[in-house]
Amino acid sequence: MEALANNFQVLFQGLALGSIYALVALGFVLIIRATNVVNFAQGDFAMLGAYMMVAFLVGAGLPYWLSFLLALAAMGVFGLVFNYGVYYPLRHRGFLPVIISTLGASIFLQNSVLAIFGAQPKRLDNVIQGGIQIGSVFLDSQYLVILAVTMVMVAFQYFFFEHTLLGKKLQATSQDKDMARLLGIPVALMIAITFIYSSMLGGLAGVLVGPVLFVSIGMGSIIALKAFAATIIGGFGDVKGAIVGGIFIGVVESFAAYYISVPYKDAYAFLMLFLVLIFRPQGFFGERVAEKA
Amino acid sequence: MRSCLWDALAVGVAASFFAFTAIAADTVKIGLIAEITGPNAEAGNYTLNGAKLAVDDINKKGGILGKQVELVIEDNQSTNPGTVLAFTKLGGNKDIPAIIGPIRSTQTQAASPSIAKLGIPTMIGGSDPSLTKVNNRWLFRCRPSDLYSSRVIANFGVNKLKLKKWVIVHSTDAFGAGGAKALEEALKEYGVEPVLVQGYTNNSQDFTPVVLAIKKSGADVIGSYMTNSQDVGIFAKQLRQLGVTTTWIGSASIVTDTAMKLAGDSLHNTYGIADFNPDANPAAKAYAAAYRARHKLEPDVYSSWAFDAMNVIATALNTAKSTQAEDIRKAIVGIKGWKGVEGTYNFDDNGDGLRGYNIVKNEAGKVTFVEHIDFNK
Repeated sequence: MEALANNFQVLFQGLALGSIYALVALGFVLIIRATNVVNFAQGDFAMLGAYMMVAFLVGAGLPYWLSFLLALAAMGVFGLVFNYGVYYPLRHRGFLPVIISTLGASIFLQNSVLAIFGAQPKRLDNVIQGGIQIGSVFLDSQYLVILAVTMVMVAFQYFFFEHTLLGKKLQATSQDKDMARLLGIPVALMIAITFIYSSMLGGLAGVLVGPVLFVSIGMGSIIALKAFAATIIGGFGDVKGAIVGGIFIGVVESFAAYYISVPYKDAYAFLMLFLVLIFRPQGFFGERVAEKA
Repeated sequence: MRSCLWDALAVGVAASFFAFTAIAADTVKIGLIAEITGPNAEAGNYTLNGAKLAVDDINKKGGILGKQVELVIEDNQSTNPGTVLAFTKLGGNKDIPAIIGPIRSTQTQAASPSIAKLGIPTMIGGSDPSLTKVNNRWLFRCRPSDLYSSRVIANFGVNKLKLKKWVIVHSTDAFGAGGAKALEEALKEYGVEPVLVQGYTNNSQDFTPVVLAIKKSGADVIGSYMTNSQDVGIFAKQLRQLGVTTTWIGSASIVTDTAMKLAGDSLHNTYGIADFNPDANPAAKAYAAAYRARHKLEPDVYSSWAFDAMNVIATALNTAKSTQAEDIRKAIVGIKGWKGVEGTYNFDDNGDGLRGYNIVKNEAGKVTFVEHIDFNK
């Protein structure tokens, strides 16, 4: 009975942290699909979102729902600025300059936040206080919120991309920019929208995980590393893959830490990455890209 | 017009140079290397405050060898290379008989070869026990080393709280792993074998496996060596959430402002060790009052160790009646029973001055003094 309860507890934590990886991974994937580059500042979007939340909720003393909306809105604006500041000027220069540009943005963001908020980590309170106690298992309310919001986001994502005109335009842009342009789709605008949406997704992940991990400058980098592994495990650039990959990593590392060894917890995610790259290089959902003869 | 300006500037520079040398002749210069910029700039500010307070005190009482004391401050940018550079700069100034060095172990390690070569008595605050045992005769530690933190934790838990079923939780970095090993050995002296020794990597996002292992072990006390305050916060929260109410005695990070703010009531009623506490002894009380009055801040270890270090230098120079390095070394090693704010200093040949820690308790978010535990050896 006790063993069962412990296993359930470990599974619960794994699912919740995996959901956060999945949200950040989703941001990665959307930008990869739209621009063919990896945005190394994706983790810092989460960090920035969490700090925005701190600024509105703790700093300005606004109510939770308003702070939440303002933080997301601010992240949306930030995504637009990021698009025009970091990506747009380099869009014709191949993928390497853009990647370096995002790396630079990451360093810039971390140091700007350090200068504004200081080095001391900040505390955010749970959306709902407390949690649910079932026997010896404790379900933290924040983890429950994380799971619920992730599920809603996955559903929203599906609906948005498959059933709205804007979603279809975004899909067309990511599949073939020239063709999309010929069809009259404003490609630059679509990419800008992708950045705005990714930035908000990252910010959302940060706001959600803030009460659990606390809000610190380095919080984004830790999450982003796992999220990046998740995108590769899931299939590089695959939306389903990002979600499944993120949750997979969260659960595997949780159980491996419990059953094998805690200090090697971070290694399991990358061990999984190795195994997937060796045995299924295209990832869970990726399609094998065959070179044309 | 332009040349006029240059002339004025040149005269100004020359004038200030003469003024500077004129003052310099009448003062004893003490070097201070502090983290004035970089990620630890906040700590560096405290160090400066503590040292300045000591200098004012000393100057009021007549200074060193009848001369007023003047601090020569070098920034190490919170980095190892910065520290080495700062030592080279201060070492080049023949008027400086002693230096207050860094509080970080890694910075001290990096600069140790330069200090050995320069041969200038240097006060250090790094708590890595090996620092004073690496063939460098010029390092003098004005804080207790980690050797004593583990013995104090073990002593307090076993003798005072009468707890025998220990779990050790530690970070796997050099500080955490070293501390855990030392605590295991310290417990062995009391005939206690820990039921579980559990490591974790810094910046862990989830401590559930650690907490479940502690639960399973049935321990009645946790001894911890955690490096990051943030990890302390996450661990404390999850520990209490999963219903573990075991007594907890932690290394210094458990009573940092950051950990206490992040964890809130999850850390209430835990014990920690601290080399400085404002209520630990009369010297500390007086120092805390003076510090608050002068700097409008709460004093902490970053300031208190520098205060003690400056006073040790003054005492040594006044006893030696000399500014020669060998004489100063002899005088420092001869300091016995000298009461500083961090405790009673008894320097040994290695250059270690302190052998004890304060035990403090988190009572509803306030750090209160419990007792001071000292060792002879």
